[in-house]
Amino acid sequence: MIWKILEVLIFPGALFILAMSLFYEWVDRKLYARLQNRVGPHLAGPFGIFQPIADLIKLLSKEDIVPAAADKFLFTFTPIIAPTLILFGCMFLPIAGPSGIISINGDLIILIALMSLFTVIIYLAGEGSNNRLASIGATRAALQLVGYEIPLTLALLCGAISARSLSLRGIVEAQTSYGSWIIAGPQIIGFAIFIVTAQAEMERTPFDIPEAEQEIVAGWSVEYGGRRLALFRLSRDLELFLLSGLGATVFLGGPSGPLIQGLEPFLHTIYFIAKSVVVLVIFTIFRAIFARLRIDQVLSFSWRYLMPLAILLVIITGVVA
Amino acid sequence: MSFEIPIGPQHPIHVEPLMLKLKVEGELIVDVDIDVSYIHRGIEKALELRSYPQGLFLAERICGICNCAHSLCYCLNIEQLLGKEAPPRAKYLRVIVEELSRVHSHLLWLGHYFHTLGFETLFMYFWRDRERVMDMLELMTGNRVTTSYNVIGGVRRDITPEIDSKLRRMIEHLRERMKYYEAAIRSEPSLLGRLQGVGLLKPEDAIRLGTVGPHLRASGVKHDVRLDDPYSGHEEIPFNVITYDTCDCYGRVMVRIGEVFESLDMIAYALDHLPSGEYRLKMPPFFKAPVGESLSRVEAPRGELIHYSISDGGTNPFRYRVRTPTLANLASVAAMLKSRGDYEVYIADVPAILGGIDPCICCTARVIITDEGKKTRRITTLTELERYARERGVRM
Repeated sequence: MIWKILEVLIFPGALFILAMSLFYEWVDRKLYARLQNRVGPHLAGPFGIFQPIADLIKLLSKEDIVPAAADKFLFTFTPIIAPTLILFGCMFLPIAGPSGIISINGDLIILIALMSLFTVIIYLAGEGSNNRLASIGATRAALQLVGYEIPLTLALLCGAISARSLSLRGIVEAQTSYGSWIIAGPQIIGFAIFIVTAQAEMERTPFDIPEAEQEIVAGWSVEYGGRRLALFRLSRDLELFLLSGLGATVFLGGPSGPLIQGLEPFLHTIYFIAKSVVVLVIFTIFRAIFARLRIDQVLSFSWRYLMPLAILLVIITGVVA
Repeated sequence: MSFEIPIGPQHPIHVEPLMLKLKVEGELIVDVDIDVSYIHRGIEKALELRSYPQGLFLAERICGICNCAHSLCYCLNIEQLLGKEAPPRAKYLRVIVEELSRVHSHLLWLGHYFHTLGFETLFMYFWRDRERVMDMLELMTGNRVTTSYNVIGGVRRDITPEIDSKLRRMIEHLRERMKYYEAAIRSEPSLLGRLQGVGLLKPEDAIRLGTVGPHLRASGVKHDVRLDDPYSGHEEIPFNVITYDTCDCYGRVMVRIGEVFESLDMIAYALDHLPSGEYRLKMPPFFKAPVGESLSRVEAPRGELIHYSISDGGTNPFRYRVRTPTLANLASVAAMLKSRGDYEVYIADVPAILGGIDPCICCTARVIITDEGKKTRRITTLTELERYARERGVRM
């Protein structure tokens, strides 16, 4: 019992996931900066590795302002629910073993639902702050969801079909027993769709439309400051961890790899982090090479190209598997 | 359902205070109201209170980025008033610095423009290359931004062989980089989607709304003060006027990229054919100008810049008037931002369209103070304004 609690709270649970998500933010920021000929974070700790946590602490210590016109309930609860949802989702990730802290049949479906729910939370957060720019940002977030959600779901489900299992544990074990990762074969298209749509899920360039700084200031998050903004930022970092980890699990074999007797949890963690950092690096490069799209361009792109591609992939996967 | 969105006076699109009141229906803009009068500085009045040589320093500070154009325009204006002309060497040196600052301004604009489109990487790349130009400006003039290079009757300092060779190296470097960027922009679909067909301005509309500079040339009108009214040896220096007939934001980007190439060629030509002799006329520290009026035009990086002065025979100008290109171009922004028929403008297009004219608000707002409470309008002097501010304990 005590071990289970420690597992949830410390390793590979909440504390480990939070620390890793801040580390992933650092990797993302540093690599993004180097791609742009900048130095990036370099002051806090070696190579600025503690910059994300320094930012977080600074934000947490800021004054807390609730606009008079805002909906007090939504304004208070959405920043708390957002990171909670994603942290809950991270518990499903198989970090230190072939199964996550929570592992049930069909947890992939739960994860997809959690991610959509996160966008709903963002919509509520934007509308709840009762600001014109926030309201536009919230509407854009919801509109964008219409564009990317189905291709994202289909891409992940194609991985599940190849592995003949809807649970992450089953997907990991299938890849171990086949001896090859799901990405080998037609699922490379699924991986590509996943990268594009996950970028939209995380609202990163070229899909940072809901919080387009140059158009609607900060979009849905414009009224949030201090610890509320810190929580939203934290949920973004957690989402980065969740989606990199999910990509690594479904397409790259997750924590599987050559094992040494007695060191399994340690090696599993290393493999998981190494693979998900590879996915993260792809995310970051993707972010660095595009301009922001317009909301109508996103919708037409995803319904014209991503959707048919994803459906085609489902057919191919069905035939092959 | 339509509602109003304020873009400005403080907004991340633009560091300067400009107010766009957008009336939107969903993401579509149906109407727009522009207000530029947040940053009146009383510079014209201040120019009238200073002697001609003093005024130069003020004219240079009308705008930070096109300071070279403003100081050149001021010098040309006063020289014309005095009936003097800068020596040939000074003219060529003026062209070199003017074109350098045009390259610097265009690179700054290109970087900032892609930043407003959410393309941070290209922003960083352009600004890195802009640093080379800034270094050259510093080497030639002693300053990075406000160059203080043009003086009445010539330029402040001569060029040395060392600067000459460094300039040539910079030109080669920049040509290579610009070729790369041009190819990159031409082939980047996410950028083209944001640029092509956005902010359409037909040539006849552009002329009717009085647009100038690269903005007008992107609508396919061949208009350039350097060509139409050569003011500093431009009749001897060959250059092409770049025009694009796409009439959209894509054309505006490509015109400016083309102009960077032209400017680099002009600098190279001016370096090759630099005349020998004096670079500056001897001028007394204080002088009176004969009675008369004078108008000078310069092709600033943003478009046609006009300075106009009236002299009553004293040591100060009687009246000084500046007309900056941004003021000329803002009317077209209002026209481009309105959706009509098939032409749809989204909120996401505002940065692209507003940025397309290379707005510089700090040059633009001037002259009239409107008192909302009393419903009066009056023209004020800087000293009066200072006194007014001091009485109310406002720091200016």
